[in-house]
Amino acid sequence: MRAVDGRIWLILPAVSLLAVAFLVPVGWLLSRAFTFPEPGLQNFALLWERPVYMRVMMNTLIISAIVTPVTVLLAFPVAHLMAHGSARLRRWLVFLVLVPFWTSLLVRAFATAILLQRHGVINSFLIGFGLVEEPLPLLYNMTGLLAGCVQVLLPFVIFPLYSSMARIDPGYMRAAATLGAPPVRAFLRVYLPLTLPGLVTGATLVFISTLGYYIIPALLGGARQQMIAQLIQDQIAAFGNWGVAGALSLVLLAITGAMVALLHVTVGLKEIAR
Amino acid sequence: MSADGMTPWRLLRGTLVIMVAVFLLAPLAVVVIISFSSAPFLQFPPPGFSLRWYGVLFSTPAWTNALWVSVQLMVPSSIAATVLGTAASYGLVRGRVPGARLITACLMLPIIVPGMITAAALFGIYRGLGLNGTLTGLIIGHTVLHIPYVVAVVSSALRVQDVQLEQAAATLGAPPWATFRHITLPLIMPAVMSSLLIAMILSFDELIVSLFVSSARVRPVAVQMWSNLLGDFDPTIAAIASVCFLFALLVMAADLALRPGRTLRIG
Amino acid sequence: MSMTTRRTVLAGAAALPLSARAQGAMDLKGTTVVFASWGGAYQDAEKVSYCEPFAKATGATVVQDGPMNVAKFRAMASSGTPDWDVVDITGGFLEVAAKDGLLEKIDPKLVTLSRIEPRFVHEYGVGCIVWSYNLGYSTTAFPNGAPTTWADLFDLKKFPGKRTVLDQPVASLEVALLADGVAPDKLYPLDVDRAFKKLDQIKGQTVFWTTNSQSQQLFVDREVVAGIILNGRVYDAAQKGAKIALSWEQNIQAVDYLVVPKGSKNRDAAMRLIDTMTVAENQAKVANLIAYSPTNIEAYKTIEPKLEPWLCTTPENTKKGFIMSQLYWRDHLKDLTERWTAWKLA
Repeated sequence: MRAVDGRIWLILPAVSLLAVAFLVPVGWLLSRAFTFPEPGLQNFALLWERPVYMRVMMNTLIISAIVTPVTVLLAFPVAHLMAHGSARLRRWLVFLVLVPFWTSLLVRAFATAILLQRHGVINSFLIGFGLVEEPLPLLYNMTGLLAGCVQVLLPFVIFPLYSSMARIDPGYMRAAATLGAPPVRAFLRVYLPLTLPGLVTGATLVFISTLGYYIIPALLGGARQQMIAQLIQDQIAAFGNWGVAGALSLVLLAITGAMVALLHVTVGLKEIAR
Repeated sequence: MSADGMTPWRLLRGTLVIMVAVFLLAPLAVVVIISFSSAPFLQFPPPGFSLRWYGVLFSTPAWTNALWVSVQLMVPSSIAATVLGTAASYGLVRGRVPGARLITACLMLPIIVPGMITAAALFGIYRGLGLNGTLTGLIIGHTVLHIPYVVAVVSSALRVQDVQLEQAAATLGAPPWATFRHITLPLIMPAVMSSLLIAMILSFDELIVSLFVSSARVRPVAVQMWSNLLGDFDPTIAAIASVCFLFALLVMAADLALRPGRTLRIG
Repeated sequence: MSMTTRRTVLAGAAALPLSARAQGAMDLKGTTVVFASWGGAYQDAEKVSYCEPFAKATGATVVQDGPMNVAKFRAMASSGTPDWDVVDITGGFLEVAAKDGLLEKIDPKLVTLSRIEPRFVHEYGVGCIVWSYNLGYSTTAFPNGAPTTWADLFDLKKFPGKRTVLDQPVASLEVALLADGVAPDKLYPLDVDRAFKKLDQIKGQTVFWTTNSQSQQLFVDREVVAGIILNGRVYDAAQKGAKIALSWEQNIQAVDYLVVPKGSKNRDAAMRLIDTMTVAENQAKVANLIAYSPTNIEAYKTIEPKLEPWLCTTPENTKKGFIMSQLYWRDHLKDLTERWTAWKLA
């Protein structure tokens, strides 16, 4: 019964479009890492010789590694409430999560800056109520960047996570309770593992999306929040150096692939057992 | 989860959700308030009330054109991405495709490859095909860019989905398409719908590929905003952002009104 | 060849076609010229001041495009069939683009180069506006006297508060050296180590800006009290009521050029559009609209007097400042950008 069926053809449209409109043109551009300005590996050698590139790459990975768990942690209660609350509440939550996105990202980033700045709403509130004496540095640093990224990326975790949670058979949790497991234990040992597929999907999306950001860091981050996408852009725009840009992109791709594979192998194994 | 009242966990959950809500809505409130500002800067709180930015918005063809282009771009591209992505997900998760892992990884590439590379690559290939400055070129670009998100979300839902239901239908003699239409699709519909909405939002905000492929006549809102950002900007961009927000509100409200018993097809 | 002789020769060479053109106007009907620039109010000003008079006189259609994007420009110019015919680019990019073979040579038969100050004329581009990096400061933060020199920018004791600096080594390094006492004519080649050491003094207090709007916004929001900002931004902000002013001491001037990408199929029409830009009245229009300085000194005859304090090419402000070395940056931008990135991360 489990023969290869016609379903395999379903992947054809997406794959063909991807091949023609993405793999070929991008592949050609990236291949210039090996051919521009001359054939050889000197572009990669350059990345090795100049420590600044790998440092920024490392910085980018660290930033992604910080943004991801924060986003997941904040997404979790929302997805949980969506999955287990009333239908009416679910509707409002969907509304809450999606509607802000219809206002452009750029404008919201500026609005976030306005809220976080030293004379902004948040600091005025904190100082006004005597909670702090000096304005808190919430902007042009990691905090500002986090605020910007998390805002944008929450739906990418909330929806897959909700998808998983909605499918969890309440029977499991009831069984755990019946067997005498305290709620925390039941949650950690039964519920959480069952949300893993959605959680891993969401976390992966957030992680790899953050790697490519440069506008949000420019608007909300500080000098230390430099990310690799800006450098790649500089190489192309300011220097016309398609070779180094391609090399940087390939390195980024390789690292990302490795990290995602690692994530799926360590965390995703449990879902294969189903 | 237990059905009793307010446990400490429920309190914690509720508090966190409210914090997230404030976090998501506060910038939005700021944007809307600033759109009515009388000051020519993004100043908060605004010094006075004025409708002039809405006046500028509706009297400047560049903005109204940009809005129309954005709509014409995000609707087809998100639908295409969702259809292609859902089909691909189904084929990859349920069909026995050799190298499914590799193909899935390839389908994810548009998210990982830096946007500028994709943009420059598309720009280059479009020149030969005359697709630069065209809506078609933009739609193709956006579809390709957003398929990975659909594949990620829908595959995840499919894997969680119990395959036995489909097998049962097949055993009872249902042809594959019927099984899909009547069993699988309704069950993964929440995931499909949310990926459609995600693709639409991403298309609306997409800047870098649009920047390369668009021209002065075919220019979506994101590029128009960026163009203003480089020069000077004033609350007109807050006005247009508020208009878009209002549009989204109306769509949601319409859905609520027309289908009182169900949610926005998320679940 | 002396300056005057060169001008006479150019004028002579340009004389005949110009007069012929003056008689046979409307000869470009049916031609479409694509003009690309930086968007916003600036491009609107260029449209009104250069493109519309050109279209009116020749019958050509001018289409506005943009925003200018260096990567996009490179991609189209290196392909040989650019979509843009006339492009407004920065002086820094001009040198690089010329070196990389991305531009058409300016045709002196079609463009009246004699109208433009010689220091703003390049083989591959004609200067259209001059702008400068100035010391901008908040007018409310310093009741006991405002900062005036770059050294004041680094004096956190006398002028406390946060600073803003453009997120690039260009001009920032020059500012640091000037603040450290180096004279403008001894600046190049830049003593980079010394510049970064000086910048370390304010690094902890600095917010880096990337878009022009950000630079204004930072002052309006009172996030910073002083910084490196473009003169046009300060003018614009002050006009709108922001409490910001600038100092002309040691202003660092830069030029924007109109160029024609290599392979443009409307090369001749493009050159003639550039020629329209050189006309004094048109340059004055731009200045009156957005306070960027003309490259044709005759323009000052029709520029509103209230604008003069804001313009870099007035004799007074020209004396106080100097033009940044485009050639130096052509050769060192890559390395210094890497160093800048590393410095920021440290």
